[in-house]
Amino acid sequence: MWSLALVVLVVFPLIVTNPTYTAIAVSTLLFMACTTSWNMFSGYSGYVSLGSAIFYGCGAYTMALVSSHAHMAGGGAQFWLVPLAGLVAMVVAVPVGAIALRVRRHTFVVITIALFFVFQTLAINASFTGGSAGISLPLIPWLFNYYNLPFYYVALGMVVFATLLSAGVRRSRFGLQLLAIRDDEDRALGLGVRVTAVKLTGFTMSAFTIGMAGAVYAMFIGQIYPQFVFDPTFDITVALMAFLGGFGTLLGPLLGGLILEASQQYLVLSFSNGSLYLILFGVLFLLVILFMPQGIVGGVSQWWALRALKREMVSMTDPEAVGANP
Amino acid sequence: MNSSALIHALLDGVLTGSVYALMATGLTLIFGVMNIINIAQGILVILGAYLSYTLSVHFGIDLFAGLVITIPTLFVVGIVVERFFMTKLKGPERTSMSILVTYAIALIIEGALNMIYSINDVQLKAWYVNQSFRVFGLWIPYIYMFGFFLAVALLGALYVMLYRTRFGASIRASLADQTAAALIGINVKRVSTICFGLGVAVTAAGGMVYGATNAFNASTSYDLISRLLTIIVLGGMGSLGGALLAAILMVTLGDVIAVVWSPIWSTPTYFFVLVIVLSLRPQGLVGKLSVREA
Amino acid sequence: MNRKGRNFRALGVTSVALASLAMMATSSGASSSTIAKGKPVTIGISLSLSGDFSGDGSAFKQGYELWRDTVNKTGGLLGHKVKLDIVSDASSPTQVVTNYQKLISLDHVNLTVGPFSSLLSLPAARAVARYGYAMVEGAGGAPSVFQAGLTNLFDVSMPVKDALVPFATWIASLPANKRPKSVAYVTTNDAFTEPQIPVAKKIISAAGVKTAYYSVFPAETTDYTPIADAVAAVKAQVVVLGSVDVPTVSAFMQAFEQAHYSPEAFIATGGPDQGTAFSSVVGIKNADGMMVPNAWYGSATTPGSAAMVAAYIKKYGGTAATVSADVAEAYSVGQVIDQAVTATKGFDNAKIIKYLHSGVTLSSVQGPVKFDKLGENNQATAFTFQWQGKNFVEVNPTSNKAAKPILFPKPVWGK
Repeated sequence: MWSLALVVLVVFPLIVTNPTYTAIAVSTLLFMACTTSWNMFSGYSGYVSLGSAIFYGCGAYTMALVSSHAHMAGGGAQFWLVPLAGLVAMVVAVPVGAIALRVRRHTFVVITIALFFVFQTLAINASFTGGSAGISLPLIPWLFNYYNLPFYYVALGMVVFATLLSAGVRRSRFGLQLLAIRDDEDRALGLGVRVTAVKLTGFTMSAFTIGMAGAVYAMFIGQIYPQFVFDPTFDITVALMAFLGGFGTLLGPLLGGLILEASQQYLVLSFSNGSLYLILFGVLFLLVILFMPQGIVGGVSQWWALRALKREMVSMTDPEAVGANP
Repeated sequence: MNSSALIHALLDGVLTGSVYALMATGLTLIFGVMNIINIAQGILVILGAYLSYTLSVHFGIDLFAGLVITIPTLFVVGIVVERFFMTKLKGPERTSMSILVTYAIALIIEGALNMIYSINDVQLKAWYVNQSFRVFGLWIPYIYMFGFFLAVALLGALYVMLYRTRFGASIRASLADQTAAALIGINVKRVSTICFGLGVAVTAAGGMVYGATNAFNASTSYDLISRLLTIIVLGGMGSLGGALLAAILMVTLGDVIAVVWSPIWSTPTYFFVLVIVLSLRPQGLVGKLSVREA
Repeated sequence: MNRKGRNFRALGVTSVALASLAMMATSSGASSSTIAKGKPVTIGISLSLSGDFSGDGSAFKQGYELWRDTVNKTGGLLGHKVKLDIVSDASSPTQVVTNYQKLISLDHVNLTVGPFSSLLSLPAARAVARYGYAMVEGAGGAPSVFQAGLTNLFDVSMPVKDALVPFATWIASLPANKRPKSVAYVTTNDAFTEPQIPVAKKIISAAGVKTAYYSVFPAETTDYTPIADAVAAVKAQVVVLGSVDVPTVSAFMQAFEQAHYSPEAFIATGGPDQGTAFSSVVGIKNADGMMVPNAWYGSATTPGSAAMVAAYIKKYGGTAATVSADVAEAYSVGQVIDQAVTATKGFDNAKIIKYLHSGVTLSSVQGPVKFDKLGENNQATAFTFQWQGKNFVEVNPTSNKAAKPILFPKPVWGK
């Protein structure tokens, strides 16, 4: 199933060659990578972070500052800066996490918002960031029919990386410790889990892919402004995607990112009435939460399990049905 | 930098801070009794401001007189939201789910307000909005004073209700421990519904004063909710006194920093203080320490 | 169902999905530069019809549409009717990049013109550059826009950096006994306003006028009272406010009035130029004497201006004073496109880019347009406008014959 999806994603831009769709696909993949990475910490540990734009912004600024100050020629070589941007985001995540993780879940949400705003203000006002004028990245001389492709495959690579990492964490002892914290932090502590170290490690790891995504975004758009890379709606969007798809699951964030970002870009492009869009989005969102409180993945698997259970019950009471329904 | 500007900023901070205290009290009351974080509080403040706007522009009703209509209206809005949506939230992830549900409600109200009132900023108008009076050589706008009195009066009424009435006692019991309150025969469900209504109703008054002192549109709600959330976290979630203290502290600090340093650093300084306080006291300034939730 | 069966079914679903995607895939690429006779010429535009810039976005839409109506009345461009293809970008750079690719590769527009705001025009120009398209725009004059090294970007409006120069020069040129002693500078941290202030401050300070206050405030400020009180406390005779919208200017005016502080001259970089949207919010009495730099105004005598204003009033109502300068900015873009297409006798973007870089001087409702190698219009003159009574008049440069005398000192609030 997973490999099939990967094959589809790999051949997608070769079949759908129109740059409009590949451009939407690039930003969708970036969101899928970010949401998966966010979920690897927040989904598993239950600590909902609304400060992920800190890492996205740091990644974007790393790419923009290094490539413009080093007078790099725009092109594929810039992609070497992407892992560096991820590392910078991780370095930033250590003190941010050390401060924010001193408190428990509900307060943590608010502290991450507070820290986010501190970073945003710094980006707007510090001298080395270029302030409100933003930073122009080197021009990339690729033509329209090629331009989106490298970004697409780099972003796809990041999705694969984030998914493998998230799956690996989930199966590891470390992942079990995160899940134990989500279930009952005090009991986890009582059982000898070093909760602070585990949380900080998870938080820092999740910053890596988000930082890389910020760097790819900066390169893709070619021009960054502080309010667009340190963007509070990014914080919310990533969390929403994970909740919509299935908080704490592996597939959920991927689905949430895919559905939300692709449909959002396409809808905005098709319908110009922004207010109506907000209402529809709100209603849809409300329906999903009220009727599928565990997200799409949770809701569907619950429905599936119920169906299976029903069949089993039918087959138990009516032996004939077994033959009719293999 | 002169000292009169500093005193002016302090005074402005206390006067406007009281209005934030009123709005934050509603939010913290709802959290304390129901463990629900009402993200829609920000847009409800804006809804309250727009209701006052409609009453004053189309019906010529004075902003303060209009509260007789807008406060009950928002109380009903709160009751409806609670009955239809909040009662559906159950289980261990109740608080997280409440953030999502109220956020979705906020989006719907935002879209509707955008459609009705357009995205152009408006501001409430009255004689006391533009005029000011002189105390100790400082000019104070009337609206700041009136807003302060209104906030004090409403907060006072809320405190009297909480501490001097039977119903207030049951709210306090629910604030302290919902299970225990239910055990001693308090109808926690009814208390919750009314608390949600009350928590939302204060936004009508807060919104009116906010709308008279700031130009606003529906998207202003994002700024408001982030301020209100940080206020109740600093004060200690569920603590009414904490909300009051934190609101005045936040607004005053912001105003003073704007004058002595730069407006740019007002908000970051507040957030910096918040982070420091929470690192030392995770339960907030006045919050009660609880093992399971914080 | 067993695991294998599920995989097979998934394969079926996926192949259907792939097939439908393949059908969606159309040939991509730029449209040809020749248009069949009788077919319209389409111009692609992404505008912010929701989000932060939506107010200006709608005014831009009006400007583009007025130009389309005018040009179609006289037979269109080279005999082809003009059709506008407008999509919404929700004020987001990611969306703007997607939108222009859609306009060119799916809708096959012949030409592209700019979105609203410097923040979006740069990402947009980069995207269309990949297709070899020109991007003529009317609202992207922040200095950062011209430092990106793009050769396909042309801004018909005045570069914002120098907008306050006439005002600053006027203050500096006043006789010593009339010249103000001190100035307060306050600006929002915005790519549009921030670069203007130091330019003005340098000229004014050189004339020996003291800087009594200098402060930058965040764009998301809602309560301006403490900042305004701080400005009022220094009692500067002149206030230079870096603002982008009416509410900011209105908030400062209100706070000044409450503090019983009335500067002798008050100029704001944006807000007072918004016609009645400004005067109705602040009140016509308080508007009296307020100044704003700009390149266009409702009763300008530049080519096509009167016709545009007449068309505006016919279509949307109001008076000359209610027409926002945004409308003229968008309209000027259309005029420049018109002249470039006529001169190059076609819709070939490469030829249009070459033509616009050739140093030719074009005309627009905002005055002459001549692009330097960065795409800046170096012919644009900055004017200063002032509200006088019910009228919004040009007062500066004073060398201009049509300029009215400056109302100085500004009347006290409400008088």
